Amino acid sequence: MLRRCLHVLAICVFALTVLGASSDDTRVDKIGHKLVCQCGCGQILMECNHVGCPVSPVMIDELKAQVAAGLAETVVLKFFITKYGPISLAAPMRGGFDNVAWIVPFAVLLLATVGVAFLIRYWRKRHAGLPAPSSVGTAALPLPSVQDRIRRETDYDNWSEK
Amino acid sequence: MAAAQTLLGPVLLLVACFAFVFWPQEKLSAEVEKTRLDYLRERKDVIYENLRDLNFEFRAGKYPEEDYLQQRTTLEAEASTVVSEMEALGG
Amino acid sequence: MPHPMPSFGSFSLILALALCVYSLAAGALALYAIAHGKPLAVPPERLRETARRAGIASFVAVTGAAVALVWASFTNDYSVAYILHHTNRDLNAAYKFSALWSGQEGSLLLWAWLLAAYGFVLRVRHKVDVTLSAYASTILAGVQIFFLLLLNFAAPPFSIAPGPVANDGFGLNPLLQYPEMVIHPPMLYLGYVGFTIPFAFALGALMMRYPGEKWIHITRRWTMVTWLFLTCGICLGMHWAYAVLGWGGYWGWDPVENASFLPWLTGTAFLHSVMMQEKRGMMKAWNVWLIFATFMLSILGTLLTRSGIVSSVHAFAQSSIGNWFTTFLVIVFVICLFTFFYQRDHLRSENKLESLVSRESSFLFNNLILLAACFTVLWGTLFPVLSEFYDGSKVTMGPPYFNRVMVPVGLLLILLTGAGPLLPWRSTSFRAIRRNFVLPCIAIVATAIVCMAAGVRPWQDDDASGGIYALVCFALSAGVITAIGAEFLRGAGVVRTQSGRNLFSSGILLVRRNTRRYGGYLIHFGVIVMFIGLAGSAFNQSKELEMSFGDTIQLGNWRIVCQSYSQDSNANFDTDFALLDVYHGNKKVTQLTPERRFYTASQTTSTMVAIHSTLARDIYIVFEGRNPDTDRPIIKVFLNPLVNWIWIGVFIVILGTGIALTPPLLPVARRVEVPTAAAEAAHA
Repeated sequence: MLRRCLHVLAICVFALTVLGASSDDTRVDKIGHKLVCQCGCGQILMECNHVGCPVSPVMIDELKAQVAAGLAETVVLKFFITKYGPISLAAPMRGGFDNVAWIVPFAVLLLATVGVAFLIRYWRKRHAGLPAPSSVGTAALPLPSVQDRIRRETDYDNWSEK
Repeated sequence: MAAAQTLLGPVLLLVACFAFVFWPQEKLSAEVEKTRLDYLRERKDVIYENLRDLNFEFRAGKYPEEDYLQQRTTLEAEASTVVSEMEALGG
Repeated sequence: MPHPMPSFGSFSLILALALCVYSLAAGALALYAIAHGKPLAVPPERLRETARRAGIASFVAVTGAAVALVWASFTNDYSVAYILHHTNRDLNAAYKFSALWSGQEGSLLLWAWLLAAYGFVLRVRHKVDVTLSAYASTILAGVQIFFLLLLNFAAPPFSIAPGPVANDGFGLNPLLQYPEMVIHPPMLYLGYVGFTIPFAFALGALMMRYPGEKWIHITRRWTMVTWLFLTCGICLGMHWAYAVLGWGGYWGWDPVENASFLPWLTGTAFLHSVMMQEKRGMMKAWNVWLIFATFMLSILGTLLTRSGIVSSVHAFAQSSIGNWFTTFLVIVFVICLFTFFYQRDHLRSENKLESLVSRESSFLFNNLILLAACFTVLWGTLFPVLSEFYDGSKVTMGPPYFNRVMVPVGLLLILLTGAGPLLPWRSTSFRAIRRNFVLPCIAIVATAIVCMAAGVRPWQDDDASGGIYALVCFALSAGVITAIGAEFLRGAGVVRTQSGRNLFSSGILLVRRNTRRYGGYLIHFGVIVMFIGLAGSAFNQSKELEMSFGDTIQLGNWRIVCQSYSQDSNANFDTDFALLDVYHGNKKVTQLTPERRFYTASQTTSTMVAIHSTLARDIYIVFEGRNPDTDRPIIKVFLNPLVNWIWIGVFIVILGTGIALTPPLLPVARRVEVPTAAAEAAHA
């Protein structure tokens, strides 16, 4: 048992070291997917497919230089924000008002869920205030002949096609 | 000549549309104001469909017995009110 | 007047406008007189009939204008500015036809024509319900007036190009020279425009205090057909983006795409929640607002993309007509709001929700999720405007944003798709159906385990979220498919017991008896298949390389070898293409020829992607161009798993909608002899 636990632990440690040691290339690729090419094509920087695009090679070179210098991702992104403006980020990530963009959809979903739950509760309460269905049934107790007819006409066993 | 050709199309279209819109109609499509009976018939169809659905879903194992019986009673009561009124109206 | 066809077109548009104004005025007056018993100089029924006929005639007039524009396109009439800017002599006939919708004026004309065509059908079929149709027809005439005003005054398609008539046109945008582009815009517009009909019926029913819910029955087919068109339009757009734009994806969360997605979401919500009204007389006010919102969103979409409020990569037509749309939208909103408050007592619910575990509440949550999705997309599309307003900084809301917020919502939706159909109407307890959830849950767990065993282990990746979402999506999808299958089998079992047929023909009979329900389930199945395809994108791979003869790109087990590259030309375009052999392991699978075209008339280039498509994956190769220094082609290869499932899913959705539209077999209660008292006595 102990051996097995150690085994799992060893695998975890190994996985973590492998994960941590991402090479420069993968970092460039990762950060480059958080940026937008500024030539006007509106594509993700690493996906810009215009040959002869005047902007994306420059941006990618800048990105590579920053990553090679060992700068942290936030620093690299900050560099692009200062140079090209916040529009160069593929999604708003500057904090402050940008957070609103992320919070509002989930807040609305949450509020709406709570709202629907309350609505259902309210409906059920109102429903409970009404006479129970069975007593409605007694109030308008169907004539046996009518009830027979209804039952006959809606019985699934009696369903047949012309 | 060219002007006449240019004018021909629009004039034809104008006359045709005007004639179509304002041509005296022999008989207007019969006014079918919805009667109470029509309304009841629609209601009956809906309740019947709900009942059939209920019966079907009960067989498919979606309702416990008492639930099913109670709902059938409610729906049948609804249906019988409608059916009785229809019979009273001569439907 | 030297331009007979353009003048005919212009005249037709003015005539159509006049006819619609008449139809609206006469219709409104007649309906008011009938409703309030006011006498008029002419019998109001007669006046109402002329209004209907004017509406029909407006279809003929708009058709005249559309024919005139297509005619001008086919006869190379470059005196018309629109034709000059959107076609050229050597353009293929199909694309000459599609020139009708490749620019702003033309697409507005197409919109007006489709609206008139829908109106034509509505007005011809008025006997379904004369009064309600008259209300709907009058409201429709109002909408038509807006588009005809635009066409006559803001974006006239027949304006004459200044100066001498050019010998050849500037050509059609090459991105639009693709088969899908011939059908994608009309499909999408059929969807957008089509929602006007249920909108007009809903508003009309509310205005006239229509007794009962029959109007829903009348509009159901309209709504479903419209929904299908919109779905097909969106998916054709996706396929076009995938096959033409050459970036390896099909959905970029661009404002134009979002604009088409918004009414789809509310329309889908409407299709579901309207069942609660039809069956149970519930949620009437909600449904009315859903269809109002759907109609307004289809107008808002056009406003967003045409006005330049939100910048979009493929806003083909930007101009100042935004103000027109804003005004129209405000007017529509005010009318809806007024009618709603004036008649709101007409919208009281007849039934109450009885339990959280009933079909009713699952519809409520379905609406909740769909509307939350709609809000999120709208929010994301408009946030740049908000941000600029707040602190003056323009931000980008790209795919990373939308993927992160929309994927969880999508997964919730899958969950509901599975759970909803299992719940019965009006149910009050979960007890009876608990066992119906066992099988789907087993399927979920089993699929997750199988996927992990097969190598889907996202936690080992650098960026795990996409893979984890995909894994959850696969597992949930399996659960939903199991639930749908089990539901179908249970139903078939009931029919088998009842009719004594074998299971197969019982299944067919089951579907024929309730086409709507089982068509709906099939649509759910199709959507789930699409979701599986979408989840595949979490495992996309790509590589770009400058290739010369014999060079290879290795991507997983796949190897792309450059055989040669060559050039060709015809009257419309010059083309550069590469011949690439695709190997899987050591086996040659196929040869692909991605192209890059240079269109002479418009002096622009465009790529023709080469795709080798299988159920498991697409090999997608783009000829991006030549390196200006070395003159060698730059090739980008994508390995996109499961993309085909998306298109297969669309076909299933179409099939399902077809079934749901088929009239069901009507039950004929078997005549049961009820013994009379006399007979009984005799028997005794």
